[in-house]
This record gives sequence, C-alpha cells and structure tokens, in this order.
Amino acid sequence: MNHTDRSEGGPRPTAASPSTERRQTIVFDAVSVVREGRTVLDGLSLTLTERRIGIVGRNGSGKSTLLKSLIGLVAPTEGTIIVDGRDSITDARAIRAVTGFLFQNPDNQIVFPIVAEDLAFGLKNHGFDRAQTAARVDAALDRLDIRALGRRRIHELSGGEKQLVALAGVLALGPKTVLFDEPTSQLDLHNRNRFRAVLAAMPEQAVVVAHDLELLDDFDRVLVIDAGRIVADDRPSRALALYRERSA
Amino acid sequence: MIGGIGADGASPLHRLPAGSKLAGLAVIATALFFVDVPAVLAIAAVIGGAAMLSTGRAPARLARDLALPGLAVVLVGLADVLLVDAATALVAVLRLAALLFFAQAVTLTTSTGELADTLERALVPFDRLGLLDAPRVALTLTLAIRFVPLIGAEIAAIREAQAVRGLAGHPVALAVPLIVRILVRAEEIADAIDARGFPPPRGPGILADRAAPSPAVPSEDLPHDHP
Ligand SMILES: Nc1ncnc2c1ncn2[C@@H]1O[C@H](COP(=O)(O)OP(=O)(O)OP(=O)(O)O)[C@@H](O)[C@H]1O
Ligand SMILES: [Mg+2]
Repeated sequence: MNHTDRSEGGPRPTAASPSTERRQTIVFDAVSVVREGRTVLDGLSLTLTERRIGIVGRNGSGKSTLLKSLIGLVAPTEGTIIVDGRDSITDARAIRAVTGFLFQNPDNQIVFPIVAEDLAFGLKNHGFDRAQTAARVDAALDRLDIRALGRRRIHELSGGEKQLVALAGVLALGPKTVLFDEPTSQLDLHNRNRFRAVLAAMPEQAVVVAHDLELLDDFDRVLVIDAGRIVADDRPSRALALYRERSA
Repeated sequence: MIGGIGADGASPLHRLPAGSKLAGLAVIATALFFVDVPAVLAIAAVIGGAAMLSTGRAPARLARDLALPGLAVVLVGLADVLLVDAATALVAVLRLAALLFFAQAVTLTTSTGELADTLERALVPFDRLGLLDAPRVALTLTLAIRFVPLIGAEIAAIREAQAVRGLAGHPVALAVPLIVRILVRAEEIADAIDARGFPPPRGPGILADRAAPSPAVPSEDLPHDHP
C-alpha cells in the first residue's frame, strides 16, 4: 500500500467525505469531573473550533477523560459541554452520530470478527439500511486503501491494519469530527507515518490526544493539560516547547 | 470451531439464508433425539458429513475443527459402554456425531453478522413481550465469538510472563492478572460500543430492515445545519 500518494494528494472528496466543510464548535463551560473522589477535570472553560486540535499532558492528567466527556461517555460533575449546540449528556446520541471516536487499542473497538461486518455495525446502529450500509462500507475501505481487507478476519490483521479498520468504521458514518486517543502509540514507525498521512488527508475536524508530539507539529492549536487544568493553549511550536520544558 | 465462523465461500450452503439453516438445524436436532435405530442415525451422520464436506473446507482443517468436540463424543461413548451397553453407546455416538456434523456445516457457512441478525429477528417476539432485549442478546453472542480467542491470547501472554518469573502453572498467578485484564478490557469495550451508537434507536419496526434512516442519521442528502 502506498501512503505517499495520499499525503501528496491531499483531501479528496469521496462518498464518505462530502465536500462541505466538516467541523463543529465544541464549548466546555466550567466543566469539572470528579471520579472516586479525585478531581480529574478541574473547571475547564474552552471553545474549540479549529480543524486540527492537539492535546498533550502526562499520564493521568485527564486527556482521555476530556475526550470521552465530549461524546457523553463521561458526565461532567459540574458545568456543561455543548457540541454544535447539543448537550453532551441529553443529546449524546445525536453528537455520536457526527462525532467519531478512535480508541487507543483497536482490538477493544472492533466488535465483529470480519472487517466488513464490523464497519456495518456502526452504520446499523445509526439506522442505515442494507444498501446504504454496503455502499458506505465499500467507500470507507476505498478511502483508506484497504479494500483488500474487507473479508479478512480481524484476528489475522496486524496492529496497523486493525487501526485503519477501526478508523474506517468511524469514517463510514460520515462524521464531522473524529476524536483520537493516542492513535499511534501501538504502531511501528512505518504505520505511524502511514497514519500521519491518512490524518493529513482527512477533511474532517480532528481532536487528537498524543504522546507522539511530532504528530501535532502542523496542527492549528495545541492544549497542554496538567492535573485536569489547561496550562497552555497555543500554536504547536509554543505549546509543545512549553510541554517539553515542563516534562524535563 | 469458533475460528471457522464467517468463513467465505460459494457453496450451496453458503447461499442458503441463515434463518433457513438455523431452522433446519433445529428440526434435525429435534428429530435425531426421537430416533434410536442405528442404521437411520448412521445415514444421518453420513449426510451431515457430506454437508460439511460440501462447504469446501479442507478435510484436514475439518479434522482439526472437530478434534475437541469429537473427543467429547468419544468420552460419552466410552461412558455408555462401561455403564450401560455397547448398543446404547453406538446410538449415542452416531446421534451426537450427526448433530456435530450438521452444526459444523451451518457454522462454516454462516457469518457472525448473519447469525446475529437472524438471532435478533428470531427473538423479536420475546423482545415485544418485554422478556429480553433482542439487539443486546445478539450483540452478546457476537462479542463472545469475537473476544473468546482474544482471552485465549491473554492467557498465553500471562502464562509466558509468569513462566519467566518462575510461577508457571500457578493458578492464582494466572487468574488474578487475567481477571484484571478482562475487567479493564470490558470497560473499554463497553465505552467503544456506546461510542459507536449502540443500541440502535427503538421505534416501531426496531428490527425490521430499516428502509429509512432515523432522524439522527447524518446523511449526505441532508443539509448540515451549521454555519
Ligand atoms: N473509570 C474510572 N474510574 C475512576 N477513575 C478513573 C477512571 N478512569 C480514569 N480515572 C482516573 O482519572 C484520571 C485521569 O485519567 P485519564 O485516563 O483521563 O488520563 P490520561 O491523561 O488519558 O492518561 P494516559 O496518558 O495515561 O492515557 C486518572 O487519575 C485516572 O486514574
Ligand atoms: Mg488516556
């Protein structure tokens, strides 16, 4: 598979990525999350509109919690999260229909044993009929250049292939925004590069939690989170420099 | 056997709808338990064997698929010989073998997706009566099929790690990390399933083929209501 094609080709509209710009406005209003007596997110107020947003911070600083709270997997103990006018708790289903989530370990995200069946799972949940589902599954596989994997068994795939399958499952729904939780932490160098090219070509908005800081170099905005608070919110060059300094 | 589910192919059995295959299997299984003429059971076993071979799976792989359940059948036969008599043992072995062959033929030619859909549809009446939640039962079956081999892999990984520490064969050394890993994994899987929109919205025809997307569905045909 040739990933250089994709990085040079830039975004190209397909059935699963209509040409209309895809992004949402995400507003955190004084959000705190307390889990088992510990404050995991501490009074966050943020407005996110950029197309590429990175989040960095040390282990346990609250990055995954922040991402999960966006689609209502974690409820704020205080405050509200509004995604394109929808409340993360009362309107979680509508948010999830246009906001995909890529988990760190694709093995925990993939539900069906065959690739194409797994892609169909999300579509079925969101009410697509058989014909629409088949067309979208094909388009999503084509878009990531993994058509050949369609009938393969998940447990026979490499880690990099599984990650792409999980992403295809998310893209098949035609999301406006995709949330990534450490998408490259289990990938080798080749697959990291490939993943970076795929990400660069995505027209969708992306919010990416990463320990792989290079992934965020050309992003629009990077947040540094520490103990549940935002300690920097800036262009990548500055935010990442500060984060490196704090981690030294 | 689990690894065989979802096998691809173009045999006549592959083309038969999953519902017919499962219904046929249920009828055959029931009938087999009312028959105790060895000759008839032998013919059934031969037909079952032929059905299994018609799936196009290599005989050597079939032999491997059937090794474990085959062993169970042999043990039942031995127990019958020792505790009852040879005639009873013969009937029991032929009956179980026939059943095993037919079941394997269905498993090999039905994908997990079809199986889950068929089960879901078959359970609709019970769902309507409020006795169970059909999509959830179908998902449970799917998850079992998908994650049982993964748990096998976890066991192998933990065994290896423990062997390095000189704890090989210690049951507690296996059980504790295994349970922890399964619980952590279960929480993540639950989150992922929620994130992927499960359960599908409940409406009038919850499990019928959905002709029209539900209102929550983002579709290229619908304008995106945002600036
Ligand atoms: N299900 C849970 N129940 C209770 N506490 C939790 C739960 N999940 C996470 N936490 C706690 O919340 C805090 C933040 O966790 P989170 O997973 O958001 O961190 P993170 O920044 O993603 O870390 P990492 O880089 O290790 O992934 C941690 O102290 C963690 O122990
Ligand atoms: Mg995390």
